[in-house]
Amino acid sequence: MKNVNTEISTSKENDRVIEYAGLSFYIIYNTDSLKTDDIVFYDAVIIQAGDPEFTRHIITRIRGHFNPEHYLKPVLLLNQSSLKDPYINLIDGTLYSLEQIKLILPSVQNILLRIKDLTFTSSLSYEALIIQKTISFMYSRNIDKMKPNVDFNSGIGYNYPILSVNFSRKEEHQVLNIIKTMTEEKLITKEFHDSVYLCNNCTSGYMSYREVCPKCNSSNAVSQDIVHHFPCSYVGPIEDFKNQIDDELNCPKCNKTLRHIGVDYDKPSIVNDCLSCGHRYQDFNVKAKCMNCQFDNEVEELKKSTINVISITKKGQVMAVNGYVTTSRDLQEIKGTVKLDTFTTMLKYEVERLKQTDGKSNLAVLHLKNSGEAYSKMTTDLQKTMLNFLIQDIRKNIPTSSIITFYSSSTILISLNDLPLKIAKRLTQDIVDLMTALIETNFKDMVVSIDHSVKPVSNKLSGELQIQQLVKDYF
Amino acid sequence: MSTIGEFISYIQALGPAKFLRVFWFFVIFEFFRYFLLDLVGLILHRVSLWVNRKKWKRASEQLKKENPLVSIIVPGKNEGKHIFKLVKSLSEQTYQNYELIIIDDGSDDNTPIICKSLLKNGLIDQFYRNDVRGGKASAANLGLRFTKGKFIIHLDADCSYDNDAVEKIILPFYYDKDIGGVGGNVMVRNYKESLVTTLQAVEYFNSVGIGRIVTSQFGIYRIISGAFGAFRADVMDKIQGWDIGPGLDGDITVKIRKSGYKIHFAPEAVCLTSVPNTFKKLAKQRYRWDKSLIRFRLRKHKDVLFPNQGFSLINFISFFENILYNLILNFKWYFYAIDLVINFPDLLVHIMLTNLFLYTTMGYIKLILFGWFRTRSNAPNYYFLPYIPLMVIYFGYFLRFVRTRAYFMELFFKASYNDPWNPLKTSVHAKEKGL
Repeated sequence: MKNVNTEISTSKENDRVIEYAGLSFYIIYNTDSLKTDDIVFYDAVIIQAGDPEFTRHIITRIRGHFNPEHYLKPVLLLNQSSLKDPYINLIDGTLYSLEQIKLILPSVQNILLRIKDLTFTSSLSYEALIIQKTISFMYSRNIDKMKPNVDFNSGIGYNYPILSVNFSRKEEHQVLNIIKTMTEEKLITKEFHDSVYLCNNCTSGYMSYREVCPKCNSSNAVSQDIVHHFPCSYVGPIEDFKNQIDDELNCPKCNKTLRHIGVDYDKPSIVNDCLSCGHRYQDFNVKAKCMNCQFDNEVEELKKSTINVISITKKGQVMAVNGYVTTSRDLQEIKGTVKLDTFTTMLKYEVERLKQTDGKSNLAVLHLKNSGEAYSKMTTDLQKTMLNFLIQDIRKNIPTSSIITFYSSSTILISLNDLPLKIAKRLTQDIVDLMTALIETNFKDMVVSIDHSVKPVSNKLSGELQIQQLVKDYF
Repeated sequence: MSTIGEFISYIQALGPAKFLRVFWFFVIFEFFRYFLLDLVGLILHRVSLWVNRKKWKRASEQLKKENPLVSIIVPGKNEGKHIFKLVKSLSEQTYQNYELIIIDDGSDDNTPIICKSLLKNGLIDQFYRNDVRGGKASAANLGLRFTKGKFIIHLDADCSYDNDAVEKIILPFYYDKDIGGVGGNVMVRNYKESLVTTLQAVEYFNSVGIGRIVTSQFGIYRIISGAFGAFRADVMDKIQGWDIGPGLDGDITVKIRKSGYKIHFAPEAVCLTSVPNTFKKLAKQRYRWDKSLIRFRLRKHKDVLFPNQGFSLINFISFFENILYNLILNFKWYFYAIDLVINFPDLLVHIMLTNLFLYTTMGYIKLILFGWFRTRSNAPNYYFLPYIPLMVIYFGYFLRFVRTRAYFMELFFKASYNDPWNPLKTSVHAKEKGL
């Protein structure tokens, strides 16, 4: 039985670890390196750093990590009140002394308890991974609503705490795509908060809106009034009416002095002179210069995007607990596979068929153990391209009656129908060799590790159960 | 039947002396001025063209060689719907070195949106808008202020132009260096629309197509139409643009003449315009136009009529001819009518029929004979044949009454200063200063 401390004490093995109530709190000082690998061994993290920049960096590293052991870790701040949005939304509490651990303990325990509910699976796409991360974070912190915060450092002007931390400023617009997917998958609901206009070239939200010359796009211009002298109908820029002797305005046509605006003259408009190209015009063009890529956008061509407050749905919470594998869009885009639901139904029919015949069918599983590493080296498009190639090559090596599905982004199920077990095993081994060769050819620095297993389909068990038994070792 | 028989007997009984006594107005003024003089003027014009053909050819070569920038200014209010057509019309021009400047004088429709779109797409070169209407003169002057060309062309937005019109209207400046302004040949586009537009087409044929060739030939051409006129930029600079209207096109022509420059009419520089399609609208338009004769000829530029330092005989003749035939004879016609009523009360019907016959006959002869002198027509002459008799009523009565009212109102009440065509804020100053 574990010895539970009733008083806050320093660990005997490591003086930067505080132990209390059976939990270990790892303290990070600003003299430390930025590495946060060790935090997986402890229940929570306390950041004690005088430098807010360092604190922000550590928080970004922890929450931006793709291992749930990192990004879900409870993080507390010690003696730091200067931290502002959006980072304040990424921590779980602030302490003014270590003694206050006692006060915050229930909250930390609750987070740790809820984390235990969660199931983590490898995701087919980066998008799916971020979705899993978001719903897991929201579930573990019992957050129903996530409100975006205005953030100068955000690429789109708004920061969604656990979402934005995964992207560089240049890529932050992808947060909006992920929210769109989450909404389509009914994992969240959204309500309007604001609109932003993004650069048409790089999707940055930082624009400098300038009035520019319609001819040369320079903003170097001077404006002056147009003056209309009523008695003689002379109309011209005010410079025509000025003299070098006094401040009076004299009409260049009739030499009369302008006396009273509205009575003998008025100023019906203005005219602008471009100091760069000399063009004279009345109406400026308004252009939005991107402060990120310097692209000068026409304002009507800016991408308008909606910023929403998001709320996790019941489905979102269930998916966090059961494990979010992939977006339906990811699967639909991979040719030669069927959805897991469809696969399960077809397996059910196969079991029924086997009950009527003496046929022999098999169920094979292929599991890429280090899929996270592989996917992290690929863009989403590349992932999909690779998976498409992979499925096409697998298809070439198996009978056409076989059915393929993704159980997760790292796990493929194949129903090899009407084949002896021996041949099914040989075919599966061939596929493993093929996958290994394909991945190693494309990712030279990566060591491929593929587990596989083939079992005959039993006509006594349900198809669903047989799938669960086959994949249980990998999850 | 007996009436017709009596009328024929009356005609047969008329000797030369009696004819002259009864129809003196027709013979002395109308036939002499609008037939004989016109015919002589047209013949002289043709002769002049032939004699000076080499000079015209050299002018054309020089124009093409120099290829000067021409600034086309189009002032107007609520003209947005016409601008695109105008732009397309100009894009077909044989002469392409022009800048197009549109001035929106306080439009309250979608004109600014249309013009800004055209400007953005490079179909017009400059667009200026005054939120508050200042009047046509101020809008034209605003455009003039920002022109860069050697020549200025003033257009109306609702007109369209022959594809060589710009070239033809610029050409006279290279023919004679003393020419300061050139008027284009305005024809009626909608002559088929209604009776009143057809009658106006005949009127334009006579007064513009023929009348201005003749007055130009004699050096007394006095009005460059606002719909299509060209000016030397340096001359416009000298006279400092347009003054307050209405009637500013006639006014600027006088200003150019007074500055010592010639005014020329270019019959081949053709512009088509839509004229008023009801008698009511026409009466309103002419009422405005006719007032300007009193305002500008008799008041503002009356100095032309008196010997002074800048006296010019040709300008005097130009003015005198204008005042004589439009103002004096207009009133004299009433004396003629009274003379007939008093002295020939029993023959009034016969006299009116004879007058109708005389004017109609002259109208037909002019249509056919003068038609030979026209190098460009937008309608076949035969189309107008049935309408010639009606011209007596249209010109002799309808327009005369409108003109009489206009002269009366301007002479005694200075009505032009109250014309809403021009904003009151400027008209009060013009009235105060007698402009």
